[in-house]
Amino acid sequence: MSHVTIHGLSKAFGDLEVLDDISLDIAAGSFVSFIGPSGCGKTTLVRVVAGLERASSGSVEVDGTAPEIARSRKRVALVPQQPGLLPWRTVRSNAHLLLDVNRAANPSDAANSNELLREVGLGDFMEAYPHELSGGMQQRVALVRALALHAPLLVMDEPFAALDEITRAEMRVLLNQLVEGRGVTVLFVTHNIAEAVALSDRVLVCSPRPARIVADVAIDLRRPRSRDIEDDPRFVELCAEVRHSLFGAMRP
Amino acid sequence: MKRRAVAPLVGIVLFFAAWEGFVRAFHVRKFVLRAPSGALSYLWRFRGDYLDAAWVTVQHSMIGLLLALAIAIVVGSVLASNRFVERATQPILVLVQVVPWLAYVSTVVLWLDSGDASALFMVTLVCLPAFVFATVDGMRNVESATLELMSSVDASRREVLYRVRLPSAAPTLFTTARFSVGLALAIAYYVEGVNLSNEGIGAIGRKAAADFNGVDRLWASVFSVAVIGISALLLLSILERTMLHWHAAQRTEPR
Repeated sequence: MSHVTIHGLSKAFGDLEVLDDISLDIAAGSFVSFIGPSGCGKTTLVRVVAGLERASSGSVEVDGTAPEIARSRKRVALVPQQPGLLPWRTVRSNAHLLLDVNRAANPSDAANSNELLREVGLGDFMEAYPHELSGGMQQRVALVRALALHAPLLVMDEPFAALDEITRAEMRVLLNQLVEGRGVTVLFVTHNIAEAVALSDRVLVCSPRPARIVADVAIDLRRPRSRDIEDDPRFVELCAEVRHSLFGAMRP
Repeated sequence: MKRRAVAPLVGIVLFFAAWEGFVRAFHVRKFVLRAPSGALSYLWRFRGDYLDAAWVTVQHSMIGLLLALAIAIVVGSVLASNRFVERATQPILVLVQVVPWLAYVSTVVLWLDSGDASALFMVTLVCLPAFVFATVDGMRNVESATLELMSSVDASRREVLYRVRLPSAAPTLFTTARFSVGLALAIAYYVEGVNLSNEGIGAIGRKAAADFNGVDRLWASVFSVAVIGISALLLLSILERTMLHWHAAQRTEPR
């Protein structure tokens, strides 16, 4: 069953063409990464799917409806590049933020954000304030905040870009644990090949702007994935495949 | 912690001792500069009158300040969401801010008659622009990630306003309040002097200034206003510490 359907999507900001005739089908419950050079338009692509930006032409459907409608029903949970935590709210209260606004659209089966905080190892930091947390911990709160919404679609825009390499590797393991078995569809924007391969069922390689999908790499690594997935020879092969299509697309 | 509380007291005591010592040692003439002990003992002798007057001045300055803050939050919320209205309003606010209020205060007293109204009006009016600018700046100074997040769940403008923008404006509002305390007191003091109501520290000060023998009375009113100002600042810093404990400025310990 497809969760997100994109057909002939183009997007321009004035004269600047950002997305060029993109068509995609994204299966429900799959983890799909978009990788491409900086400024290629992959962020714009997921923003259109999240209903934060309108397509110039073409159609996008989320849950069989327009992205704006999915957004107003709180069917899309966003994890932005910066955690965007509110400094005056505690961890517990930040994790609950998306459920506190537009309450009318809250799902009846919203997840217990306290439970989730414990799951990501923040059980002892519920009453802490964001400034007392490390960057990785802040991003974990941002993850919980999104998951607490219990939305079927998770849109993550380079969520780990600001983290150091070690924390980043930890976050990959954690994110795999969190989404496996939850059945959510994830759209994940990244610059990092290993991150894309370790997390995804499918890696879509974008061309430089205006973005087109130049390669669609199926990641056939077993799940559940643990820390040592990155030692698997198949992982290394897949990384090489993604890298080749990425740099192939960047050659003029 | 203890040292931090003691240090300002030491400073004040030393300052008054130096003043007192200077006046006594050089026999400074009475109408040039009085020793603080004269004014302080005068203040103590007529403490009842000064307390009554101080209470009036506290109300004029602090209610005026609170009114300015309340109006600024409403006006600022509108301006922060509409660039056109903001640009249209800005010249008026700047005018209020730059035109010396002393120049038109007597006109206001004529309009509003003697009494509380003129004092409150002047304090509110003159303190308003800074609060409005602080509100607009603070409300705009929100991380774009946060706004994006709010819009990703279709939060209404009202929700964004009171859950995100208003709390973001709190630190700049506190800073503005701290700077405005002195201004509010100066205006209250002056208007009380000219509005013929015979109420408030300003009325005492005005009459004392016109009286050749009123030096102690005048300085007693100066000290009264100083005490009000310092108390207001202390109260503000306590409020700030409790309400904005999350704010970065509150975390830096002086070394």
